[in-house]
Amino acid sequence: MAELRAKTSPQGSDPARGSLIGKRIPKMDAPDKASGRTRYIHDINLPGQLHAKILRSSERHAKIVSIDTRAAKALPGVHAVITAADVPWQRPIGVAKDHLPLKTDRVRSLRDEIAAVAADSVEIAEEALGLIRVDYAPLPVLTDPVAALAPDAPRIHPAPQGADGGPSLKPGLPVAYTGKPDNVAMVMEYAQGDVAAGEAGSALVVEDVFRLHYVTHCCLGVSGVIAEFDPSGNLLLYSNTQVPFLHKREFAELLDIDPGRVRIIQPPIGGGFGSKLDIYPFEPIAIFLAKITGRPVKLVFTREEEFLASPTRQPVLLKLRSGCTKDGVLTFREVETLHDNGAYTSWGATTPFVMMQTVSSLYRVPHCRYRTRAVYTNNPYAGSFRGYGNLQATFAVEAHMDRLAEALGIDPLEFRLKNAQDPGEVTPQGMHFKTCGLKDCLRTAAERGDFLRKHAANRARWSDGDPVKRGVGMASMLHVGGGAKIYPSDGCGTILKIDDFAHVTLITGASEIGQGSETVLAQLVCEELGLPLSAVTVVNNDTDITPWDVGVHASRTTFIAGNSAIGAARKAKDKILALASSKCGDAAEALDLAEGCVVKKATGERVFELAKLIRSLHFSDKAELVMTTHYYEPPSVHQDKQFKGDVSAAYAWATQVCEVEVDTRTGIVRLVKVTGAHDVGRVLNRLGIEGQIEGGIVMGQGYALTENLMVEDGWVRNPNFRDYKLVTAPEIPEIDVSFIETMDGEGPQGAKGVGEAPAICIAAAVANAIYNATGVRLTSLPFTPERVYRALHGAAQPLEWNVPQ
Amino acid sequence: MTIERYCAPRTLDEALEILRAGPVSPFAGGTDLMPQSQAGRVRLAPVLMNLRRIEGMGGIAENDGVVRIGALTTMTQLMDSAVVRERLNILWQACDHFASDQLRNAGTLGGNICNASPAGDTLVPLLVLDARVELAQKPNGRIETRKLPLAEFLLGPGRTTRAPQELLSAIEIPLPAEGFYGAFFKLGTRPALDISAISIGLGALHDDGCLRSVRIAFGAVAPTAIRAARAEAELEGRLLDQDVIDAAVQAADTEIHPISDLRASGWYRREMVCNMLRRMLEDARSH
Amino acid sequence: MPARIDIAFRLNGVGKRASVAPETSALEMLREVIGLTGTKYGCGEGECGACTILVDGVTINACLMFAADCDGRDVMTIEGVNATPRGEALRRAFVEHGAVQCGFCTPGIMVQAWHLLESNPHADQATIQRGIEGNLCRCTGYKKIIEAVAAAEAVERGQTPVEQSREVQRG
Ligand SMILES: Cc1cc2nc3c(=O)[nH]c(=O)nc-3n(C[C@H](O)[C@H](O)[C@H](O)COP(=O)(O)OP(=O)(O)OC[C@H]3O[C@@H](n4cnc5c(N)ncnc54)[C@H](O)[C@@H]3O)c2cc1C
Ligand code: FES
Ligand code: FES
Repeated sequence: MAELRAKTSPQGSDPARGSLIGKRIPKMDAPDKASGRTRYIHDINLPGQLHAKILRSSERHAKIVSIDTRAAKALPGVHAVITAADVPWQRPIGVAKDHLPLKTDRVRSLRDEIAAVAADSVEIAEEALGLIRVDYAPLPVLTDPVAALAPDAPRIHPAPQGADGGPSLKPGLPVAYTGKPDNVAMVMEYAQGDVAAGEAGSALVVEDVFRLHYVTHCCLGVSGVIAEFDPSGNLLLYSNTQVPFLHKREFAELLDIDPGRVRIIQPPIGGGFGSKLDIYPFEPIAIFLAKITGRPVKLVFTREEEFLASPTRQPVLLKLRSGCTKDGVLTFREVETLHDNGAYTSWGATTPFVMMQTVSSLYRVPHCRYRTRAVYTNNPYAGSFRGYGNLQATFAVEAHMDRLAEALGIDPLEFRLKNAQDPGEVTPQGMHFKTCGLKDCLRTAAERGDFLRKHAANRARWSDGDPVKRGVGMASMLHVGGGAKIYPSDGCGTILKIDDFAHVTLITGASEIGQGSETVLAQLVCEELGLPLSAVTVVNNDTDITPWDVGVHASRTTFIAGNSAIGAARKAKDKILALASSKCGDAAEALDLAEGCVVKKATGERVFELAKLIRSLHFSDKAELVMTTHYYEPPSVHQDKQFKGDVSAAYAWATQVCEVEVDTRTGIVRLVKVTGAHDVGRVLNRLGIEGQIEGGIVMGQGYALTENLMVEDGWVRNPNFRDYKLVTAPEIPEIDVSFIETMDGEGPQGAKGVGEAPAICIAAAVANAIYNATGVRLTSLPFTPERVYRALHGAAQPLEWNVPQ
Repeated sequence: MTIERYCAPRTLDEALEILRAGPVSPFAGGTDLMPQSQAGRVRLAPVLMNLRRIEGMGGIAENDGVVRIGALTTMTQLMDSAVVRERLNILWQACDHFASDQLRNAGTLGGNICNASPAGDTLVPLLVLDARVELAQKPNGRIETRKLPLAEFLLGPGRTTRAPQELLSAIEIPLPAEGFYGAFFKLGTRPALDISAISIGLGALHDDGCLRSVRIAFGAVAPTAIRAARAEAELEGRLLDQDVIDAAVQAADTEIHPISDLRASGWYRREMVCNMLRRMLEDARSH
Repeated sequence: MPARIDIAFRLNGVGKRASVAPETSALEMLREVIGLTGTKYGCGEGECGACTILVDGVTINACLMFAADCDGRDVMTIEGVNATPRGEALRRAFVEHGAVQCGFCTPGIMVQAWHLLESNPHADQATIQRGIEGNLCRCTGYKKIIEAVAAAEAVERGQTPVEQSREVQRG
């Protein structure tokens, strides 16, 4: 890494005096965090609290014959040992409601929860786990997703049965879980145009099979939860969920209580990245234990558990067929994928929503067909992970952009520009790109990364005998940037109060997961109210206080919560200016707020000190406070049954050029430089957005080169940082980021969401760069030294598509 | 696991006395013992003995052409030592590729040797440097020591010829002649924090295009770190041309027995030993 | 009856006594027995650096150290680092350079950076990168952390960093 300073495009910051937009604004929570004062869930201990541990399956697929908890229960210091038999009222959780927190008749993967202990200390709880005896009757193990489709494959989810052969879930309870007739968890199909006609009109057709691997979030703070009931049966949950309001309802359903009686407090979170979007069994289990013991129960994972029992990015086998005319115009694209769902269904299974958008709409393609099947196996199950399927789809699509360009003898940049979307376009899938900076992204990244020159020069060195090769590759991406309407509402509420000292409390539904949303929201409010950042306190972590929000996902918080906060601030401003107008006689439209005062718009002359004005309202005979609320619902729509519709209020774009060095003697690929150009709508907090992008790039680097959760026959072979390799400081590339500001009309101050974007292109661009360096195309991730070495020396197994129809 | 007693003796004498009395788990930095015991891979004995307080078991001293390194010397202390940097540079290189600053500050040379991992990073340079280990015990009221070449000390993964009542007290390295060339290579994508998939040590004296006193050692390609006698013989005293390099690489190929594990396949390890030994010899030629 | 060991050591400059089980790690002792939670558990295996503390002036992974081994030694945690001028300079640099996201890795990196600047006052970029190689961060991509440490180093040399976020508060 030769140079550190991010080069950012000069445009962006508002020339208007005093604006905070586009500035480098430190995160409000940073001083506490940097001094170790922030209390994460791990640091919270409640009086009387018990510690819980979970006993997980030692079999990948088996019937549970018996569980003997007597010795564990007898251990001094143990308050409760529970199995499914103790919570007959438990309900299935997860996206497809196919997952019981405590397993009844069978285990389906190694992580499966069989029993749980609450004890005076973690050590005692662990000792108690060791005393629980489980008898299994092993079942045939199914860990190959292709084999899962065979007609005689073992069934992962037959109708659940109890030990007596009858239904294991007590009749009469509202349980939707009835088992599955085959191993297909989910099918998604999408089509536009006429693929056969597209193919007939193609001068060139390419087809490849790609394999995408397991990776996992590796939040530095491990998962944890504290559950507590008050004597009236109200549940208080300290949880790191990214979707508190959705979970409030789900937990209430689980307990069969009124959702109003569930309160979720979110302590600061040690990393999210999508890992905390679903309910996982440990949460209900802690709740069961708290209910049974009447004590607060804290359950925190070890790092090993975090690797074994938290969700992964979904592994995918993908076949892509693409074509274009001899002039380089894309004609059609056909995709078939097989997703390894693992034993249960979480958000991972729904990633095709995002994947098909990239397939259909990143570039203009008239004819498109897309089909995904997610199948059950005895492997770990997948959740949502930053980028949500888009890393996988982009990897395949961008490989074909390069292959087609090469076959036609067009340079990769020109080929992409020819097919890139423009602003105003409505794609056949119904996405409306009101703003679209893709072409600017392509040109900027190519120019700043010196792409064309290097691309040609590297190729010329293929056979020059030097064992160390250089390569450049590019890839682009499209991702939702204005929320994503996957629930009935994609909205967010804000309550804003300004106190007698002109101090603002911004109460927002939007959770902070380390990405810096609270700072951006405060900044947007300050912008409206003409106040310094120090005049704002953000409250965002308690469902008893904060208004509704759908959750932190889909890069939506800046956009949705930002618009919501602006809405509330504008209402407050209107109220203040109306009051000021009534006092000074100037029209409200002629007044403004700046630097803690009401000022005349035209001259900037100070009319009132804001705090004084507010006090005069408060202590008047009308006695009013400045408190406003706003709910923002983006103008997006649900997709229809054909997966068509304008699902987001804005779309984010990016191009990244990656430069690599490949040592052909070892297969080691070094990521030397990443040049990114991101259409972010507008830069709100330059420091924050750079941080998001740099972090995403390095996460993408890990996905491409080093990270690999090795799942072999259902066993996780490397549940530790020793062999699951996160990128470390000496490995990072030089990073050069440009921001393309397209000023989105709907975005808060013109901004779009970007949280997921930076991780998406890296693997695709690195694959193209390795090809540019060596002439060898890799279609399986990750590019670990041995895999690359094998491919370079012709010792790689080619991928085949042998998936039954 | 119940530890009945913890002790931190101040003298070697005291420590050896405790060892003689019964099963003891000694530790120095604890960077191997702590995670191994917590993961249940090692059972701790009823007595846990901290070696770090023992006086006189650290330090680096040079005497009569022999460098004596106390077993408690940490990786950081090795790297800070002028003798190590200047005269035993291959050992310095290995320390530089060792884990992280935090671990280099805690992990000891004695611990790395006694842990006897096939991938232990200091073992390869120590083999190249013809290091000897010194073991001490107190069988009948008097401290007795024995010294043996490191290669004879290492038996297999986690296994050495150390008797339970013995401590590794020091490592002795004969100072290589002036002009000794040493190179260490560790395969990985990171500079350090990584367990070696393979490592190679090469030491020799340059003599008119020939290599003399050639010593080659490999890590992580056999149950212990090993010397490659046949490859050494192919090189000894010969003009370092392409044929000789080829012959040495071929010989090395016959001396290693790499296994496949999650870090690398045996096939890849073998390829890497050959490719990288070749590269190191080519570098040595142009040095 | 499992053994307990009474130990005495200096913790952030103040004498401290504690009673610990032999297998307890220094990390558990600090967090659970003493109640200093700035030192974090990220892996318990020496791989992540979230638990970095200073013992007799050098950094170690508290998760790999037996608590009993603290006896007689001088221990400094993030809480102690905070109170030093260098700790303050680092904190300011971390905040202003955007080196903190979720913040979970930050205390460990602060302590490691403190030690890096202590033992290597003129650390350049490559040295800083190597210096924090034992600290994992999942959020930031390290770039801003490296910049922050470099900025703190510049402050120590009496050179104020070129770029500062003075724009934060207006007026
Ligand atoms: C995250 C991590 C990364 C690592 N990276 C590397 C690496 O890159 N390269 C590498 O080689 N190793 C690595 N290690 C392993 C370990 O740090 C080293 O082996 C270290 O040198 C061990 O020294 P120690 O003093 O901490 O050993 P301890 O854990 O104290 O002891 C190790 C073993 O040796 C015994 N022992 C120690 N000293 C003596 C003595 N004087 N006499 C008799 N027996 C003794 C102990 O009983 C124990 O069985 C890593 C470990 C971790 C946790
Ligand atoms: S917790 Fe100690 S290094 Fe990770
Ligand atoms: S800021 Fe989250 S791990 Fe570093």
